[in-house]
Amino acid sequence: MIEVKEVSKSFGALTVLKSMSFTVARGEVVCLIGPSGSGKSTMLRCVNGLERHDSGLISIDGMTVDTKSKTIGSVRAEVGMVFQRFNLFPHMTALGNIVEGPVQVRGRPKGAANEEAMALLHKVGLSDKAESYPSQLSGGQQQRIAIARALAMKPKAMLFDEPTSALDPETVGDVLAVMKDLAHEGMTMLVVTHEMGFAAEVANRVLFLDRGEILEEGPPSELLKRPQNERTRDFLQRVLHPGERTVRDDRP
Amino acid sequence: MMQFFEDARQFMPILLQGAYVTVQVAFLSLALSTVLGLTLALMRMSGNPLFYVPAVTVITGLRGIPIIVQLMYIYFVLPEIGIDLSAFTAGVIGLGVAYSAYHAENFRAAILAVDRGQYEAALSIGMAKAQLMRRIILPQALRIMLPPYGNITIMMLKDSSLASAITVSEVTRAGQLIASSTFKNMTVFTLVAFIYLVMSLPLTALNSWLERRFAAK
Ligand SMILES: Nc1ncnc2c1ncn2[C@@H]1O[C@H](COP(=O)(O)OP(=O)(O)OP(=O)(O)O)[C@@H](O)[C@H]1O
Ligand SMILES: [Mg+2]
Repeated sequence: MIEVKEVSKSFGALTVLKSMSFTVARGEVVCLIGPSGSGKSTMLRCVNGLERHDSGLISIDGMTVDTKSKTIGSVRAEVGMVFQRFNLFPHMTALGNIVEGPVQVRGRPKGAANEEAMALLHKVGLSDKAESYPSQLSGGQQQRIAIARALAMKPKAMLFDEPTSALDPETVGDVLAVMKDLAHEGMTMLVVTHEMGFAAEVANRVLFLDRGEILEEGPPSELLKRPQNERTRDFLQRVLHPGERTVRDDRP
Repeated sequence: MMQFFEDARQFMPILLQGAYVTVQVAFLSLALSTVLGLTLALMRMSGNPLFYVPAVTVITGLRGIPIIVQLMYIYFVLPEIGIDLSAFTAGVIGLGVAYSAYHAENFRAAILAVDRGQYEAALSIGMAKAQLMRRIILPQALRIMLPPYGNITIMMLKDSSLASAITVSEVTRAGQLIASSTFKNMTVFTLVAFIYLVMSLPLTALNSWLERRFAAK
């Protein structure tokens, strides 16, 4: 479904992605983990063409992602994206946010789009918030609306960039629950996350990214329990036991 | 004091006629400068040098030349190359063009103040650029640009007095004419000042109402 082949990307002199390759099969959930600045967000943003990759090939269900092409809009419409900071449209209600894509981009009639949006609101547990503006919602509620907004486009795959890391701890669970439901329904998902519990439970595969390279990949039961690479081990140590300092930290 | 009211009653009809012209000049040049300003702002922000180079040049030029000089150029110099405009038209075009630079900078600042995440969210649901601007960015920029827009509007109302220099018979010019024939400077210019104040007060009130209204959400 998502195919990334030898993709490289630099910002000026800084190489962020070094010839990266991976695939996400239809219905598969892949988690992308790695230290801050390793290029996880950049990778995700290249997949739906928010960032332009310098070389290599990215395709979604056979459609090539090329930010310069005229059809990039229709490729993006097929891929849902959920951001760390929600990015809901503040001048529209929750319902307005959800129907915006179907009505404006897909040309769906308003009535049908509204009905579908209400069903999505129900799915994310926020039926009573249809008329609320984003500023009237908690972080967790906003993020669930953002997921509904992405789903309203009936995407072939969903990208998540640390969807829970800007949330209060008590609202994280609601968002993860929605994501788990999606995964169980067979949605193809590529998820950047620091929630190792989610990765362990839901992911089919986990990729460990460091300095723009995939250092290790495997099913969560392998990679999270018995990491082979030393840097993977260090990273997991730091994420799972944030209190303790690792003595062997030789990173620059 | 009695004399003041006596004179005022006599001058007021002429001054009010001038005030009517002032309102016309201010309103028409506001409309023109808004359209031109938005065009310049969008040109300046397009990634295409074919658009932003002319826009930056025009904005810089307009901001660097006194409005009164621009007015004189349009009214006195353009006829030499065959463009002969009435004083009124020249005044409206002059003020409209001159102020488009300030509107452009205001619009640009407001558009740039909209969070980058909004562009990305709109792109990620497949929106095209024009759609994204119209549906997502401009409505949000509108809230940011309104208070400064109100201020510019008040400045334009006052600066419409500059058109008196090219013989537009707005209220300042009407005052000058009365004063030079009656020598009642104090009465005339007090009345003129009063008229400007009365015209600007509703704008000021509207402005603070808009500010409060848009700060709320
Ligand atoms: N637009 C940009 N311009 C310049 N440098 C950038 C840009 N975006 C990202 N970078 C740099 O690229 C590197 C990778 O950034 P990226 O956001 O992909 O990391 P990340 O793995 O998502 O990190 P985090 O976990 O902190 O979100 C960082 O060093 C970052 O500073
Ligand atoms: Mg990131």
